Amino acid sequence: MNKRALLLIGSPKPASSTSEAVGDYLLDKLRQYDIEGEKIKLIQILKQEDGINELISAINNCDILILSSPLYLDSAPAIVTKAMELISNDRIAREHIKRPIMLAICNSGFPEAHQNHTALSIYRHFANASSFEWAGGLALGGGGSIDSRPINSLGGMVRNVVKSLDLTASAIADGKHIPEEAIKLMAKPFVPHWLYFIFGQFGWRIQAKKYGAQKNLNDRPYEVN
Amino acid sequence: MQVLLLNGSSKDDAFSQQLCDIFVNELEKHDNKVEVIELCDTRIESCLGCFGCWVKTPGICVINDAGRDLAKSVVQSDLVISVSLVTFGGYSYEVKKALDRLIPIISPFFKKINGEVHHKPRYKRYPKVISIGTLTENKQELIDTFQYLVKRNAINMHSPVYLSRVFLNNEAAQGLGQEVFEVLKEAGAVK
Repeated sequence: MNKRALLLIGSPKPASSTSEAVGDYLLDKLRQYDIEGEKIKLIQILKQEDGINELISAINNCDILILSSPLYLDSAPAIVTKAMELISNDRIAREHIKRPIMLAICNSGFPEAHQNHTALSIYRHFANASSFEWAGGLALGGGGSIDSRPINSLGGMVRNVVKSLDLTASAIADGKHIPEEAIKLMAKPFVPHWLYFIFGQFGWRIQAKKYGAQKNLNDRPYEVN
Repeated sequence: MQVLLLNGSSKDDAFSQQLCDIFVNELEKHDNKVEVIELCDTRIESCLGCFGCWVKTPGICVINDAGRDLAKSVVQSDLVISVSLVTFGGYSYEVKKALDRLIPIISPFFKKINGEVHHKPRYKRYPKVISIGTLTENKQELIDTFQYLVKRNAINMHSPVYLSRVFLNNEAAQGLGQEVFEVLKEAGAVK
């Protein structure tokens, strides 16, 4: 029987997200190794009436768990924390469970990939507490450059992301952990930090202009005089 | 001092509730004005990750619920204390849900701090922070991650002072009182 991979998307955005774009690429790669792939968006499933049971059932049937999330305040978004609490409580209460391998991908809007490391430590602690075999984590900086677009559509800019995910898929399909080379490739910046800095400053102004808010970006609505 | 206490204890977590009570008593004894938000009883939606609070209604979350009041209270406080079960080295869901809603109080624009890119402050001043974690077992790895997380949060949220303590929930009440006093003294809330 083929192995099953379950991809959990931790972004609270209901539509597409960078977490999903990166996770989708890895899941597609794993399918090339005859691994069956299933994807669940935590924000959607936890709103459904029987969503928690559906999530738990999918977890208990998988061999490979992939968590792809954005970085919120140096750690997991609240929705991911909720899912981890539910999953862990369920697995601790069960006597006989499989021990799937778990890997995580964390992406941040800051250009430095290492700003994801606290979140990846949290995911590792979750794996250890919940009977998953921790296979490692990938930290991606400058997630805004991907901007929720499919990885295959981004050309040379994401070459290191592609190489990293290809190496990861090959290792995971082989029952191994994420290779060190894949971790290093994922951490490489897309553009120099100074350029990302400039793009970021312009990007917020352009977005605010759509709402006529470009002159209010520095407002302090709660300031006490 | 204006103090905001975020009580992240759940209904069945008597220890965290006891800790919050000790904090409130000690603070009030020293003439501080304390606002307590019982997170379990407060409807705060999860952050949508839409950045509307930066580009649509700058400084104000697009979700009109208690999360807006929370952000306002944080900005207008001198000290913010949170009490959370240490959850895989991070905050519990209830506490994280509240903290995620504080993004409006910082600016979308970037600045370098200690050589790293972070968001600029939106306000001229930010509160001091005390982050309290509770654990049922003494697991140093979890404590280390929690304390490092608090340190990283302080950089991103421009906290002028940050302190973190992790209490084991078998600690005697008498010892707790002294520890709470010490951490409040360090934050300048008691003498």
